[in-house]
Amino acid sequence: MAGLSQFFSLNAQILYWIFVAPLRGKPGVRPFAVFHQMVRIGVQAVPMVALTSLSIGVTLAMQGAHELARMGATSFVPDLLAISLLRELAPLLTGVVVIGRSGSAITAELGTMKVSEEIEALEVMSINPIRFLVAPRFLALVIMMPCLVVFSNYVGFVGGWLICQFALDMNALSYILRLVDSASGMDFFSGMIKSFVFGWLIAVISCQKGLNVTGGAEGVGQSTTNSVVLSILVMLVVDALLTACFFFIESPTT
Amino acid sequence: MSSGPIIEVKDLVRKFGNRTVLNGISFTVEKGDTMIIMGGSGCGKSTLLRHIIGSLTPTSGSIKIFGKETTTMSPKEMEALRLRFGMNFQFGALLQSLTVGENVALPLIENSKVDPEIIDLVVKMKLELVGLTGFENLKPAEISGGMRKRVGLARAVALDPELLFSDEPTSGLDPIMTAVIDQLTLDLTRKLDMTAVVVTHDMTSAFRIGTKMIVLGAGKRAGTIIASGTPDDVRNSPDPEVQQFIKGEPDGPVPLKLAPEDYIDRLLGHERSKGKAY
Repeated sequence: MAGLSQFFSLNAQILYWIFVAPLRGKPGVRPFAVFHQMVRIGVQAVPMVALTSLSIGVTLAMQGAHELARMGATSFVPDLLAISLLRELAPLLTGVVVIGRSGSAITAELGTMKVSEEIEALEVMSINPIRFLVAPRFLALVIMMPCLVVFSNYVGFVGGWLICQFALDMNALSYILRLVDSASGMDFFSGMIKSFVFGWLIAVISCQKGLNVTGGAEGVGQSTTNSVVLSILVMLVVDALLTACFFFIESPTT
Repeated sequence: MSSGPIIEVKDLVRKFGNRTVLNGISFTVEKGDTMIIMGGSGCGKSTLLRHIIGSLTPTSGSIKIFGKETTTMSPKEMEALRLRFGMNFQFGALLQSLTVGENVALPLIENSKVDPEIIDLVVKMKLELVGLTGFENLKPAEISGGMRKRVGLARAVALDPELLFSDEPTSGLDPIMTAVIDQLTLDLTRKLDMTAVVVTHDMTSAFRIGTKMIVLGAGKRAGTIIASGTPDDVRNSPDPEVQQFIKGEPDGPVPLKLAPEDYIDRLLGHERSKGKAY
């Protein structure tokens, strides 16, 4: 319970330093720090996201083709890919990659700074650690998650195309046309909204766990584990809730 | 500005669980003073300092800095107050991700609107003060612990504060460097009229720079002031514990060993052996 109220207060503080503080003439978040984090969290995650997305695209196409072939409907493989990647798998898998790569790194980094008095030193120098450390990481995650998911979508489709082209005798053009035809704007946007929310949650949870570290190296390890576990759990639950929202908004009867 | 004491601590009590670490500490620091806080390891010196800089809040008691009560201060006021003092942490507390130069420049970049060229100049000046010219571009992990400490001091005085806190600035330094740091503290306080609060258990250093001292007790008198006043007052204190501390004797009021008859009991006692696996 205390953790939850701390979570909301951290959210409020982050938003204050990003949006309100600059208007009141206080120093805001430094753009350079945000770019630095964007490179670390976003750009450097590209190879890993590419590999996971390609694998899942290929796998999904094969699994789908296998089932659909029994009904002679292998031409529906692109439809399957479009829906499942755009709406579900790309945001989720990118989320898992980002949690594993960056969420854990953020917790470990902030936790180490906490135990080695660096955060206290910042406070004593009148440098707010939320503005200086947390806000840039938050912004970077919220910006880079959707970017990574767009990239993941593309790579996943390439994976699907590999199967369609070489195993299902579907040429590239008809694959692309079928894909464009079956995917709606809502499919894409629901994935984008999810990725934005996931980025937000990962950032705040990782930072909160990092700032709460006590007890030296052991504490840092413990908090990093907790942060990864909690991030994945929360992401999956929120994914279900968001999917439910989209499900009722665009209710299938209409 | 008020002409009262720069720091006024009154009846400061701090408990961690049921352990009382600070038990009714009161003292004042006047402008230009160098206050030395002495005491054995683990007697609460650093904890006392942490309360004064506002990192910890006391269980009860009052702390006034520049005449303002800090224990009930809003974070905003605290932030403004903190710009007027510098803190040199025990282990430097440098940001590992930044270079030595960037660490010293940090308070300037974040808290003032100074030209980058001037910041560069100030950083070089401050590093020169602590004898670390030419180390700007190294990371804290690449320099020794004593050097890190000196960078911490350079960072603490980067904004030319009115008040300097130093947590064991000379432990782990060689005698020459200790003298350099002492001389630096003296220069800052005597020439620039800076006020300093220094936590130390280095006696030579303490009597070299201190104008006022307090000694915190150990054992039964843990967390209380057992001697205070000018260096001479403390040196001539009749208290045997203070004398033991100043002279660095292994046995005295602070016993080397507890009663020998308990020794076997303590070794074979079962209440401890149920603890951790190692």
